[in-house]
Amino acid sequence: MANRALRNLTTTFFEFMAKGTCVARKDARIYYFKPQIIGFGILIPAFVYLSFSLGREIPSTLLISGLVGMVSLFGASSIEAISIPIERQTETWELLQIAPITMRTIVFGKSLAGSVFGIMLSLVTALGTILLTRSTIANPLPFATVTIIGAFAFSALGMLVAAAAKDMPTANISLTALRLPMIFIGGVFIPVQALPPPLRIISYMTPLTYMVDALKESMTTPSIMFAIDLVALIVWFAIFQSLAVIILNKKARL
Amino acid sequence: MENAIEVNDLRKHYGNTVAVDNISFRVARGEFFGLLGPNGAGKTTTIRMLTGLTKPTSGTVKVAGWDCVTESLAVKQRIGVVTEVSNLYSEMSAWDNLMFVGKLYGVDKSTRTERAKQLLEAFQLYERRHDLIISYSRGMKRRVRIAAAFLHRPEVLFLDEPTSGLDVQSSRLIRSLIRKFNEEGMTIFLTTHYIDEADQLCDRVAIIKQGKIIAEGSPEKLKSSLQGEYVIEVAFSRNDLDVQAHLQSDPIMKGVIKQGDKYHIRTGTPNTIIKKMVRFAASNRLEITSMNTKQPSLEDVFVRYTGLDAVQLERMELLRAVKVGGQRG
Repeated sequence: MANRALRNLTTTFFEFMAKGTCVARKDARIYYFKPQIIGFGILIPAFVYLSFSLGREIPSTLLISGLVGMVSLFGASSIEAISIPIERQTETWELLQIAPITMRTIVFGKSLAGSVFGIMLSLVTALGTILLTRSTIANPLPFATVTIIGAFAFSALGMLVAAAAKDMPTANISLTALRLPMIFIGGVFIPVQALPPPLRIISYMTPLTYMVDALKESMTTPSIMFAIDLVALIVWFAIFQSLAVIILNKKARL
Repeated sequence: MENAIEVNDLRKHYGNTVAVDNISFRVARGEFFGLLGPNGAGKTTTIRMLTGLTKPTSGTVKVAGWDCVTESLAVKQRIGVVTEVSNLYSEMSAWDNLMFVGKLYGVDKSTRTERAKQLLEAFQLYERRHDLIISYSRGMKRRVRIAAAFLHRPEVLFLDEPTSGLDVQSSRLIRSLIRKFNEEGMTIFLTTHYIDEADQLCDRVAIIKQGKIIAEGSPEKLKSSLQGEYVIEVAFSRNDLDVQAHLQSDPIMKGVIKQGDKYHIRTGTPNTIIKKMVRFAASNRLEITSMNTKQPSLEDVFVRYTGLDAVQLERMELLRAVKVGGQRG
């Protein structure tokens, strides 16, 4: 009995992963090189960072953690904000809905595509910045871990916003309206400790704060805060994903 | 015979608008069933509820023995759905679209490769399998979409207006392949506004109007329900007179419809009408170039039950063409 249940669970898990990966690969192929992705996911964060950092002396720890965190936020959240509205418009969204695949699998697949995009951008940014500043990362494995988990959390954020938005402009404007304040209070340019107390409280309600902090920790000597940051990012991921599934399910079966 | 589709007291409302109003019907396994109705009658809402895309307000739907609400994944695994829009990924080739859909349905690699090849050959698209969908004509996209719905060999295939707005060659090819699928034992559920198409293909049809099924049966049975009614088809040498207005002014001439250069008159007393026609032609110095007495067609049945006239029928087809033509991709 227990063996049978375990076998069913394993089959369900492998099916979930296989179909989710199938959706992710399709999204990667179609959306990674869309002009909107390059604009919203790469150019905007690059310009924002340059305009605030040029001429300022920024320690390499702050520079790398801030830049990688911001690139991950913009990159990972951009894919769904483009893919879901386009698929709704062309009705290919319905092609997924009529297939024997749960909404959770669709959301996971789409988040995976966004996450992988965010991870790739983050790693390229990290390598480039390390080479330019001739700095080092003391703990590469924790750095990579937080880059991966952070990208999943941001990708799920993009999924949630795209799920709730009615079209592409609404999704992108809403997402930008969330992302820009996040980078100002998330420790990208100004350390969280230097923020006024009310903003500091708000900053702890955004996932970017935890990612930037965890990246900083991994570049020096990780403390208990690193583990807390990771748990916070996982919780954000779970919340965003679940809300996206609820909203999409509600919209789907009207 | 075991049923492929069982619908009981199905109802769907959006706010105060009732889209589907307590309908019940059965479709036997292997049957070719058609749902006909004017625009806004509830056809698409019905098909969406049958395919698990829309949740019914009340009532039950079972497809292939599974409940569409509580066991929707099991239903989806056993059905193929072709929606009104050819929703394919236009940035991918026909081949890649089929491979993607095959993976979603859990079809293993060698089987989906073999079936995709067979289907694309049958649909005359194999040579262009690696071209992006964006470069395809509407008819070609429709063929790929139907192939995608058939790839996992569903028990029941739902087709929502499969030939709407297509060229004659594509329509004929699609119809012949759908018929072949049905001959192989697949249950087909079709909605169409081409009444002739339903007449040619369907074992049984239901006519839906304002969310209610108002007639159901085989095309021949429905035609015989207009027992005692005939259609007289007449053409005159000239069309400079407003013949339709002249004919309609006579109370005995019920339902005069102009179709091309001919007039169709539904009547229960063909003898009287023919005599009147001859007198009308003589008094207006017209020659009768052709005159036929026919049994009612399925379209006549449709017109009778839905209360649509020829102008409304034409408008319905025009609206549909505009809607399909306006779709992206």
